[in-house]
Amino acid sequence: MPSNVEVADKASRKRAIAVAIAAIVFLMIQVVTRPVFNPLPETAHLSKVIMWAINAGALLLLLMTGGGLMQRKEIRTLIHDEVSRNNSRSAIVFGYWIAMAIAIAVYVAAGIKPVSAREAVYLIVTPSVGIALLSFSWLELRAHSDA
Amino acid sequence: MPESLTNRLREERARRNLTQAELAELVGVSRKTINTVENGIFVPSTILALRLARALNVAVEKLFQLTG
Repeated sequence: MPSNVEVADKASRKRAIAVAIAAIVFLMIQVVTRPVFNPLPETAHLSKVIMWAINAGALLLLLMTGGGLMQRKEIRTLIHDEVSRNNSRSAIVFGYWIAMAIAIAVYVAAGIKPVSAREAVYLIVTPSVGIALLSFSWLELRAHSDA
Repeated sequence: MPESLTNRLREERARRNLTQAELAELVGVSRKTINTVENGIFVPSTILALRLARALNVAVEKLFQLTG
């Protein structure tokens, strides 16, 4: 029977890959559906807007908590231990600086082409969440790889 | 020149014929934590450093040193 450390090790690798896939899928869906910039009437694309908000919120929650809610508590503790918590913090900080840079760019660009509050939030949150998740995934995979 | 932290975790673990997973089990952390500390990617908290030293039965200052 595999030990808790072995189970956590496998689950942690899977999580790192799953987080990267989730981030890529999230970003690709935005390119395809463009929920905020859709020229359709408000009611027609409201479902896309709500889906985006749920999606972004769920991914942020995953980044904050480390996920693994289906795992036993001991395994979850091992998966999201000191290194993972540190990686999560680093990824959140990286995402924060991406968000700040985009927010400044949107602020300047709004003088040329006005943007709505919803568009501005979308432009700031989408890439910063995606990049923070990719950053977390990369840090986790690096932690797993042997020198 | 700024000081940096080096450690002898890999050597001390090898001296006791422990794998990373076995040491992780003893300390109650994941294998990746042992891996990142050994590779110098992650600087452990004081609590983790003390737990590692206790598990390997060495003084913490023998396991971790400041250089530079």
